[in-house]
Amino acid sequence: MASSEEDKGLVEKTLAGERDAFGVLVQRYAPQARRVARAVLGDPDDADDAAQDGFLSALVKLGQYDSRRPFGPWLMRIVANAATDRRRRSKVRRAEPLNPSLVGGGPRPDAAAVQSELGDRLNAALAELPPRRRTAVVLFDVEGYSHAEIAGILGIPEGTVRSEVFHARRRLRTLLADWKENIR
Amino acid sequence: MKESPSFDHRPDPELGAALRAALDPKTDQAAFVSRVMARYDEALERSTVPTFEILAGWFRPGIVAAAAALVAGLLVGRAVFAPSPGVETIDAAMAPAEGTGLAALVTAQDPPDASVVLTSLVEQ
Repeated sequence: MASSEEDKGLVEKTLAGERDAFGVLVQRYAPQARRVARAVLGDPDDADDAAQDGFLSALVKLGQYDSRRPFGPWLMRIVANAATDRRRRSKVRRAEPLNPSLVGGGPRPDAAAVQSELGDRLNAALAELPPRRRTAVVLFDVEGYSHAEIAGILGIPEGTVRSEVFHARRRLRTLLADWKENIR
Repeated sequence: MKESPSFDHRPDPELGAALRAALDPKTDQAAFVSRVMARYDEALERSTVPTFEILAGWFRPGIVAAAAALVAGLLVGRAVFAPSPGVETIDAAMAPAEGTGLAALVTAQDPPDASVVLTSLVEQ
C-alpha cells in the first residue's frame, strides 16, 4: 500500500494546483480503484467508468480530505460510492449464468488455460455474491484493508464487514478447492 | 487454502492472489490514467461554479414558491377566520340575551343560586 506521508504530500500539491501530483495519485491508486469498482459492478468497462468518476469526484472533494487519516480508504469510499451509484442508475445486468464447462465436468484444461479458467470461475463466483459481500472480501483479501477501514469505506458496522467477508470466503474457498481437485 | 475459523482477522494470501488475478484490468493502466487526467480541468471547472450562480438558479423558483405559499396561506386564513353567518359583530355576540334567568344572574348582588345558572344555560 502506498506511503501515507507521500500521499499527503501529493494531496497538498494537488490542492496547490499541481496537476502532475494528482496524476501520481491516480497512477498509484488506479489498479486498486479499478478492482474495487469491478468488485461492485462486475463488468470491467462499467468499472473503469466508475473508477474514473471516483477519481474526479475525489479531486473535487479533495479539500474535505482529513490529512490525519490515510488517503486510501477515503479514496476507496468515493470509488465504491461511485460504482454503487452507477449500478443503481443502470440496474446493471444480473449475474450471468455460469458457463457449464466452468462449473465442472468439462474437458480438463491445458496448463496455459489454467490461470485464465480460474479467473473466469472466480469472476463468475463473485458475480453470484451480493455486491457488498464481494466488495468486502476484495477490500480485505486483495487490498489488505482492515475490517474497521472497510466498515468506513462501505458505511456499515464492523461486525457486518466480518460477516460479509466470512460468507464470501466460504463460497470462494469452496470454489477454489473444487477447481484444485479438478485440475489434479 | 487454509481452513480458518469463523472470523479470520488476517487476509488469505492465496485467495487474495487468485482474486487479484481475476479482477486485474486487462487494459493498459497508463491509458486509464490518461483518460482520467483528460477530464482534470473539466472536473475542476465544474466544481468552481460561483456560489451566486447557484443561488441565482434557485432564486426564481424560490420566489414563485414563496408567492404560492403566501396566496395559499391567505386563502386558508380567510376560510378559517371568517366570522360565522349567525353572529355579525362582537357587540352582538356580547349583548345580554333575553330571559329572566340571565338577567337575574347579571344583576344579582349575591352569588347566584345554582338553579338560576342552570335556568340561564337552558334558556341559551
